[in-house]
Amino acid sequence: MGRKILVIVFVVLFSAATLLAVETEYKVEPYHGQYGGILITPTLSGPKTLNPAVARETSSTDIIGRFLDFLIELDQYGTIQSEGRLAKSWERLENGKVWIFHLRKGVLWSDGVPFTADDVVWTFNKVWENPNIPSGTQDVIKDAKGNFPVVEKIDDYTVKFTLKMPFRPFLRSVGEAWILPKHVLAKSVEEGTFQQQWTVSDIDKIVGTGPFIPSEYVSGERVVLKRNPHYWRKDLDGKILPYLDGEVFKIITDQNAILLAFESGEVDHMGPRSADYPRLRKEAEQKGFIVGLDGPTFGTQFFCFNFNTPDPVKRKWFRNEYFRKAVAYAFNKDAVIETTYNGLADAQWSAVSAAAKYFYNPNVRKYPYNLNFSRAMLKLGGFKLVKGKLVDKDGNPVKFIITTNSGNTVREDMCNILVENLKKLGMDVTFAPQDFNSLVKKLLNTGDWEGLMIGLTGGVDPHGGSNVWKLDGDLHFWNYSPEKRKYVKEQNDYYCPDWAKEIDAIYKKESMVSDEEAKVLFDKFQEIVAEHLPLIYTVQRKYIYAYSKKIHNMEPTAFGGRTWNVYAIWKEK
Amino acid sequence: MLKYIIRRIIVAIPVLIGVSILSFIIIQMAPGDFLDQLRINPAVSEETINKMTHQFGLDKPLVEQYFLWLKSALTGNFGYSYSYRRPVAELIWSRAFNTLVLAFSSLVFAWVIGIGLGIFSALHKYTIIDHTLTVLAFIGLATPAFFLGLLLLYFAAKTGTFPITGMTAVNHAQMPMQEKIVDILRHLFLPMLALGLIRLVGIMRQMRGQLLDVMHEDYVLFAVAKGMPRNVVIYKHALRNAINPLITMFGYALASLLSGALIIEIIFSWPGLGRLIYNALLEQDIYLVMGSLMISSAMLIGGNLIADVLLAWVDPRVRLK
Repeated sequence: MGRKILVIVFVVLFSAATLLAVETEYKVEPYHGQYGGILITPTLSGPKTLNPAVARETSSTDIIGRFLDFLIELDQYGTIQSEGRLAKSWERLENGKVWIFHLRKGVLWSDGVPFTADDVVWTFNKVWENPNIPSGTQDVIKDAKGNFPVVEKIDDYTVKFTLKMPFRPFLRSVGEAWILPKHVLAKSVEEGTFQQQWTVSDIDKIVGTGPFIPSEYVSGERVVLKRNPHYWRKDLDGKILPYLDGEVFKIITDQNAILLAFESGEVDHMGPRSADYPRLRKEAEQKGFIVGLDGPTFGTQFFCFNFNTPDPVKRKWFRNEYFRKAVAYAFNKDAVIETTYNGLADAQWSAVSAAAKYFYNPNVRKYPYNLNFSRAMLKLGGFKLVKGKLVDKDGNPVKFIITTNSGNTVREDMCNILVENLKKLGMDVTFAPQDFNSLVKKLLNTGDWEGLMIGLTGGVDPHGGSNVWKLDGDLHFWNYSPEKRKYVKEQNDYYCPDWAKEIDAIYKKESMVSDEEAKVLFDKFQEIVAEHLPLIYTVQRKYIYAYSKKIHNMEPTAFGGRTWNVYAIWKEK
Repeated sequence: MLKYIIRRIIVAIPVLIGVSILSFIIIQMAPGDFLDQLRINPAVSEETINKMTHQFGLDKPLVEQYFLWLKSALTGNFGYSYSYRRPVAELIWSRAFNTLVLAFSSLVFAWVIGIGLGIFSALHKYTIIDHTLTVLAFIGLATPAFFLGLLLLYFAAKTGTFPITGMTAVNHAQMPMQEKIVDILRHLFLPMLALGLIRLVGIMRQMRGQLLDVMHEDYVLFAVAKGMPRNVVIYKHALRNAINPLITMFGYALASLLSGALIIEIIFSWPGLGRLIYNALLEQDIYLVMGSLMISSAMLIGGNLIADVLLAWVDPRVRLK
């Protein structure tokens, strides 16, 4: 009996020892550098929470991204790399319905506990797929029919994902869900208190696999992060990364103050506004700054018109394609780029941002500023000028309101520039910005709006727009279907042109085909949108960055920001 | 006196409940809610939003929401913040101290120097110094606080004499005690100046005007005529009468201690309540807004009470019953 126990104890100890002795499969990064230094990063507002299922703004997720990791890894342009972060490699089986992830061996959580398949399986089954923890990630990892993938453990370092149907963006969406430590959080999920975990007062309880772990939070002032000694990347010389001893997120609540703090060396890097760019460029040489630009960002801003606006006369104008084309020709993008953006922006013509390099189609119809073209379009659309006033074919004078969320000076500028030109065409247009919340309510619930300028976030894969472009999409606000919104049904006047159905068909199909086929579909989609103009795209800001010459290995891009490779950044003493 | 104070405190309770009802109604009248930012995010579905609405209790009838809040508020729990997922009281206290440090130091600065300069100016009326102070006062009264703040910030950045942002240096936690205090004082100086200077000039002008008025009263002339020493006339008789209206002002200043520093806090990134509440308002984090409104109201009631008590103490004609 005693011997039996001894044998069991021995076996347990032995297996524990082998488990601990698993050699870490480091990821080698193409850098050289020196240890030491603390990076000071400015942030306009502090984190609200460090819980990834609760966080909803970048001030929180930027810090979460320092201590948690995904399965896959994107490079600085958003392309999926062949070697992932927590997953070293993966296999796509059964036409994309089964995915096997081979996890990186020997990775430790920052408290020294080994990271295994249990963490991954638990994170998906108990957090991201938990109906009681609603989060943005939950929607992202569902397939086109709203099914979650089934996640199972095969062995300690292998995880199997099974899908009900092929889902093209699977790798990108599932691979970009944060992986959480089961041994720290499992209890709270069972007790139903998960959403109250990892608030900003729980800094000392946080455990992760990222390069830096939060160690101190001074309310409203800063978050201090310390180097994770168990990190899983190495440089070319075999040094374990990160180089920095730590990073401090310094909360500076005013853009002007961030600029001054950067100039006086209180912070090491920043993202300047267009207006600050010339000044920083001038100082760069003398003060030792590196100031630069990168291509456009992913967000888009556009004008649109409500196809189901309450007034049936106006509905006819807004549904008239020639009317929208006239507006597109009347929008002076060059003037906006010059005056509003100091020249630091690009015109946008396609529905997909140029930043999404793979899916972007530059060969779409363009509408360069030309009021004579606008007049021709209006004529084709049945409008005519009577005593300098534009009237439709039934003689109703063209009069409507354009709105945007007040306080956004860039959007207000763009609206003003457009309104000025529309007046030259004889339209009686009023610009009336309104509070964001009341705007959202009108947009999504009551449909009580006419013309609008607003922006939406975007990503590398246009699949993210399916909620916007499908006919029954939650954000198809310019032309909700009668099933989706009562007010459209009550009007009994639903207008659904063939091109809109075609876009709907593209979005119903794109997630079930290969990337190459999706590319063809999305090219077509961009051509349709540019031809029929349900949304009239405007301009996109360039990404601007500035950092001190003392900081090495910083390689800012619009997609990755200034710190996508924070593990490799080091600071001269 | 004690009876009077207790009675005032008891009366304050229904006032506060009234304030809470009004605040709640006004907050609810504002269009939209905390989830609007998510509603317009293409990555979030309506289903998820509906689940969150339910979890936050935003789908309950307003009256029920209010009474749930009132019930827990009476037991000392002012609700949870939606975005921080922490108790509102905890959040407010973590910031209120910093705001009090800034507001109180600028209050002391403004009142001590303001009253002093006001008296000096009144006693030396129409001299060069009085004229200079008058001109400076008008410049000060015409300068918005944020502009002065930005000027000071620019000055600090160009000269490098004072730190630009925050309340403590990055390595504050590692400093010995004395250095910690010096560190905070160095960070405090500019925001205190920006906040204090503008109040100071107002107080100075008030004090000067009041004292000059009193100095022309018959009893002052009489006291001078009967040969009373000048200092006694001024400090024992004139000043005590002149300062009455300023004490009422002081009560209001106390009431705005927590809320008056918002713009300066934002400009100097001072980790106070201002930014917290401003963001809560923008985001419609309703219980955080409610909590801060309740505290501001309590401060207003308390400030008025303190002003009344001070007034009774300074002016024997005032009797509190």
